[in-house]
Amino acid sequence: MQAEARYREGITRLQQGDDGAREAFAEGVAIAPMRDALYLELARACRARGLLPRAASLYRTYLALPSVPEREAAAGELAAIERDALVGIFDDGGPAPRAPRAESAWARVPLGVVAGATVVAGLVLLLVVVRRRRGETLREIATASPELQPAIAFLIGSLRHELLKHRLLVLADAIAALERGAAEPGHHAFVLARLFGGTPLVLAWAGHLGAFIRALGPRFDLSRTDPEFQRAKRALDRISRLAAPIHDARPHALRELAQQHRQLQRFDAYLAGIQRTLLRQQIDDGLLAEVRADITAELAGRPCTITWPAPMAPLEAELFRVDLVLLLRNLVRNAYQAALAGPAPARVAIELGTTLEATGEEAVWISVFDSHPGTVPLHGARGAAYRGLDLVDRILARCDGTLEQIAGRDGYAKGLRVRLFGAAAAGDGAAAIGDVG
Amino acid sequence: MNLLVIEDGHEYSEFVAVFFRDWQARRATSAGEALTLLAAAPVDAFLMDLRWTQGDEAALTGDLDGTATRLFAGDRARARHYLLDHQGTFILAALRAAGHHQPALFINDLAPRRLANLRTLYGDVRAVPRFDAAAIRGALEAKAQ
Repeated sequence: MQAEARYREGITRLQQGDDGAREAFAEGVAIAPMRDALYLELARACRARGLLPRAASLYRTYLALPSVPEREAAAGELAAIERDALVGIFDDGGPAPRAPRAESAWARVPLGVVAGATVVAGLVLLLVVVRRRRGETLREIATASPELQPAIAFLIGSLRHELLKHRLLVLADAIAALERGAAEPGHHAFVLARLFGGTPLVLAWAGHLGAFIRALGPRFDLSRTDPEFQRAKRALDRISRLAAPIHDARPHALRELAQQHRQLQRFDAYLAGIQRTLLRQQIDDGLLAEVRADITAELAGRPCTITWPAPMAPLEAELFRVDLVLLLRNLVRNAYQAALAGPAPARVAIELGTTLEATGEEAVWISVFDSHPGTVPLHGARGAAYRGLDLVDRILARCDGTLEQIAGRDGYAKGLRVRLFGAAAAGDGAAAIGDVG
Repeated sequence: MNLLVIEDGHEYSEFVAVFFRDWQARRATSAGEALTLLAAAPVDAFLMDLRWTQGDEAALTGDLDGTATRLFAGDRARARHYLLDHQGTFILAALRAAGHHQPALFINDLAPRRLANLRTLYGDVRAVPRFDAAAIRGALEAKAQ
């Protein structure tokens, strides 16, 4: 119902020439696919607004649906659009002849100077337009703004899974067969159903891209700023415009469909490449050495023995480096302060490891043991002595980590264990772009 | 090949119908439905969708409250997303627990370490990175992994 309301609002706004139509459609797409019956209404609204190419595309989408009540009327309206477009080719567009003007001062300027100035002006204009249009790519934004990486990872995952994988990439074999003229029964219908059944591709795309902007702001107008997104959008636009000849299995349309589909495969590989770099921090000997140096300086010779992990293979966790360093420092600081406040000898030990989850992914855990027998308040107000753990709480909230108290061992009264989402076994890989045929 | 396709949508079963007309395939959208179908007739392999995007909370496999408590500080909404994102693995766990150890194929570009972990947990688990009919046929008709 909510989605329907948004779609109907979009159609109404379109009929009124209201710019809010685009947003209404994008919101509808984000909720649920548009009902088949609305395609015809939308096509007619586009036609009434003079958006004839878009109207024609929507009429073709409607006519490609398996059973529609107004097929004959829609076909007639589409035929009228196509007929008018053909007749319009022969319209006279030339200007009426003008009386010659008196010679102006410009006429006395050498032609070469005029030509040179025109070229320079054109280049300057081009640079201004390109600079204004060139924003940041998604990769650049993710690198420059790591705090946005969790949201970017989620949005990329949705785009890849819902639009690319299940509507487009699933068609690779069928499209390749159609391109070669070697399609088997069912291939063509399979392609038509995936491409043109359900929400129009361009609307689905707008919904996903709109989600980037709504979640993260206008900086994420990626169809404008990221060349890879621009190429993908052009591919989807082109496929949408080819609906009728694809439906008719015209060889040129099938060849172009295959070409645009390969572009979308490259786009998927591009997104996968970005996805694999997001929010992935190594916990290695170098990082531990850095924290160890800080803690040693803080201790300044006070009598607390801290046992650090032996050299180890790096672990990968899903959190930012700055958070990881703060986490380790505050856990160890909390532990040595507790140990120094307890019975001698004051001892602290740090251990790291991974555990296997039922999903096949891994959790990374960090345990810090200390020799103080008292328990640590894990929830609620802790007081000044545990302010560092308040910071630990905030970091864990950002990265979906957890904190628990665990039993001690071998001269350590207790421990605190942090669990983090591991990154080594997480996420999808990426087909090499060279793999795309 | 008798195949059980386990997915929340229709892409996998439609793909099988088009490219594997020599196979018998049935479709389930939950662990419960899969187990019911398996009780009626055995299959040779499972074709699994890893990530769900839709599904009633009641039909989801996995401990929603336990996941919320253990991983998300009690946030059930985020726990639900987590179960959806990995629903295929939870369903596979349920199938294995019920004694069904047929090969399970994911069409997903899994990180190698994750695939190795899934094999540690669930035995014969296979993966192809994309919808590639030849690769899928090869993966499912191959001997045990």
